Amino acid sequence: MEPANIVTLLEGAFGERPLVQFIHRYEDLFFASLILIALVGFVRWATRRHELIPGPLQNLMEIVVENIDSFFGGILGEQGRPYIPYIGSLFLYIWAMNMSALVPGMKAPTTNLNTTVALGLTVFITVQYTGLKQLGIGGYFFHLAGRPQDLVGYVLAPLMLPLNLVLEVVLPPVSLSLRLFGNILGLDSLIGAMVVMGAAILGYFGLPGGVPLQLPFMILEILLGTVQALIFSLLASIYILGMLPHVGEEFIITEDKIVKKKGGSH
Amino acid sequence: MNLSTALAFSLPLGVALAAVGSAISLGRVVSSAMEAMGRQPEASGKIQTGMIIGAAFVEALTIYALLVVFLLMGKVG
Repeated sequence: MEPANIVTLLEGAFGERPLVQFIHRYEDLFFASLILIALVGFVRWATRRHELIPGPLQNLMEIVVENIDSFFGGILGEQGRPYIPYIGSLFLYIWAMNMSALVPGMKAPTTNLNTTVALGLTVFITVQYTGLKQLGIGGYFFHLAGRPQDLVGYVLAPLMLPLNLVLEVVLPPVSLSLRLFGNILGLDSLIGAMVVMGAAILGYFGLPGGVPLQLPFMILEILLGTVQALIFSLLASIYILGMLPHVGEEFIITEDKIVKKKGGSH
Repeated sequence: MNLSTALAFSLPLGVALAAVGSAISLGRVVSSAMEAMGRQPEASGKIQTGMIIGAAFVEALTIYALLVVFLLMGKVG
């Protein structure tokens, strides 16, 4: 149950035209490309002239980019810097898609499982490609075997391999896409149910229109849509970080204090 | 009791049970993170990141229950 959007209105008005039928059939793709074009167009327009003293729009873009860079750069570290543009655009795109549910006549394309599975698959390909490139084929399987250090580790490696195969290869794209899809679909059907309920209240008295019961839930959607976009990109960066050779910083625990080990683990 | 009655009873109960478990664990996650932040305010950024990731994993379990509801809702009535 979702509020009406432009495509369903078009379909109601010109339902027999082949183009309208085509758009109605692939409405999520239509909205996703619309949002992509709007996002790219806005960013291109805001940064059409690079100035030393930026105008308001360029300033806004610089704030966004700097915050994304410092936030994800703090997680990924120096080695993961090349992945920040990918993760940042993932965040902005998912955020724009989640927020589009609040624009009248628009629909959040993330309420379709196909959109979120596509996004999860890009993360999957990036993570596995990073693992194969950074660690090599041998190092990749060494990583999947749990990076054994001693004899016990090597004995347990055949056990760890299928476990890590499920945990690190199969599960991340599945859980990423299902989480985003379920959250946004749940919120959107909540808003749709509230729209119907608001219309039903006035309809009971024979009046047209509806009570805006959905407004508090739309404010909730601003919060939760942002959080879901953040979680998606945060988990993507965590998965990428797991495939980089330096897994965090290693600490040596001495008798009374913790000393940072120089140079990382591998 | 036919299938659609059984589903209409059990689907909301299933989500409610999953939400109870998720709520308990989310409370634990957030309270521990808040305690850690109170003890070490300078590490609050890292703790917050870890908290969000842990909360996402906890919350995913409720979302799975919700997904089952969405999948089976067509069979009700």
